[in-house]
Amino acid sequence: MNQLRAELLKIRSTRTTIGLLVGLIALALLFTILTCTLTPMSQLFSEQDQVSLLSFGSIAGVFAALAGVMLFTSEYRFGTIRPTSLFNPNRGRLFATKITAGVLSGLVFGVIGEGLVFSIGIMILKIRGVSIVMSGANMTELIVGAIVGTALWGAIGVAVGAIVPNQVGAVISLLAWGFVVENLVFGFLPKIGRFLPVHASDSMMGHIEDKLLPGNGGTAVVVAWVLILAIAGVALLKKRDVS
Amino acid sequence: MSYVVQSNSLSKRYGDVLAVDDLTFAIEAGTITGFLGPNGAGKSTTLRMLLGLAKPTSGHATVFGSPYDQLQTPALRIGAVLEATDFHPGRSGRDHLRMLGRAVGLSDARADEVLSLVELQDAAKRRVKGYSLGMRQRLGLATALLGDPELLVLDEPANGLDPEGVRWLRDFLRDFASGGRTVLISSHVLAEVAQTVDRVLIINHGRLVAESTLDELTARVGSVVRVQSPELDRLAEALQREGIVATKSNDHALLAQGTTRERVGDIAHAAGVAIHELATEGSSLEEVFLDLTSEEAPR
Repeated sequence: MNQLRAELLKIRSTRTTIGLLVGLIALALLFTILTCTLTPMSQLFSEQDQVSLLSFGSIAGVFAALAGVMLFTSEYRFGTIRPTSLFNPNRGRLFATKITAGVLSGLVFGVIGEGLVFSIGIMILKIRGVSIVMSGANMTELIVGAIVGTALWGAIGVAVGAIVPNQVGAVISLLAWGFVVENLVFGFLPKIGRFLPVHASDSMMGHIEDKLLPGNGGTAVVVAWVLILAIAGVALLKKRDVS
Repeated sequence: MSYVVQSNSLSKRYGDVLAVDDLTFAIEAGTITGFLGPNGAGKSTTLRMLLGLAKPTSGHATVFGSPYDQLQTPALRIGAVLEATDFHPGRSGRDHLRMLGRAVGLSDARADEVLSLVELQDAAKRRVKGYSLGMRQRLGLATALLGDPELLVLDEPANGLDPEGVRWLRDFLRDFASGGRTVLISSHVLAEVAQTVDRVLIINHGRLVAESTLDELTARVGSVVRVQSPELDRLAEALQREGIVATKSNDHALLAQGTTRERVGDIAHAAGVAIHELATEGSSLEEVFLDLTSEEAPR
């Protein structure tokens, strides 16, 4: 618990996380206001249209993953991994602490991201006179799925940071995977692509799309990705010398 | 004998490079030990192995009888500074200490205490990127002191310090060790630590080349003790009886070979001979150090 308190202070005591939060808020507001205002009325009536529009809060996953990556890569970049390791020499426990902190910060990103998109989106749609056809269950799945998915992306970010300690390398790898590689794989081989983490986490929000996994299946797949990357991350962390 | 640090046949290989080669030494409690060697001699690698940051290729190291990473909350017994730059530039000095202190259950008040101890209280809330090198060195020291340790391990702490900073560090370490605590301090410049340490470990090419007090070290490589006395002949005889070769110099002093000032003083006292001058001559400590760590030095 002491170490988790230390990690959370570490996150709060620099401007990096604040900067990511501000970026998320700005992007979420911009996208929600523009799309909810400019999308033609004819594309706003179905349940699928509304879920797709209001699921943009899942973009918080990108920011949560970047914040998670920073938890390890900043330590290596600035050399604080040395005092951190001296104060917490058990590398397995250090990893567990950081991944917990990554999940908690991911939850915050998720609540803010999806909370903004959903509340402002619904408000604009109502102002435009659109009838909300999403059921309560759909809304719950969308909101909970986006928040939990974002939290899991926080964990994925931490694991990626442990695997690739170079900050630039880790950030580029993560973004290239999320925005390029996965979309290519999903585009050409959707039966494989839906098992990759971005598309699996999309399915957690109840997207009505045949090619994606069902919600529970998507959650299980993302958790499996977290476990696989965490095992690799902790193994490398234990093996690697702190120079 | 109570050993705080023990290194047993410690070796570390990086590819083809043998950075540390079968290094064995022990450090007694309550001493200040200088860990000396030129850049690249293997000092930092050795310290990292002692502190559990790097795994030895062979051999093992213990601190307080256990490998560092198997000690219960080692930061409360051992304080270490390995680099003067181990801070996030965007974090304040106080937050740096609070965050590490929290990890081992220390209160935020302890962070303020150590900041005062290293005279950084006025800069506590400033971001580290605004600190001078000397301030960063002191913040590093504050980090090491957070857990009120019994052992301090400092890697080149005087690097980049101005003379006033070096003096401040020397006084601080003396004060720290005066309470019976132990210091292991590495440097590539003997003069930096010569006035501070009780004994030295010198390594070169990863191997231990000397382990002794400074006086022993000077004597061992052929130093000369110059002594003046109104009874030079009697003193020469007394020294000769103890197996020490002494010759008269042109200015009516006696030059005793291969011994120490303490030994000559003791012999003179035992023989009832008054002495008016007692000084070490010949090789300076720095020359001895350079001699032991030169490329031509035997490996």
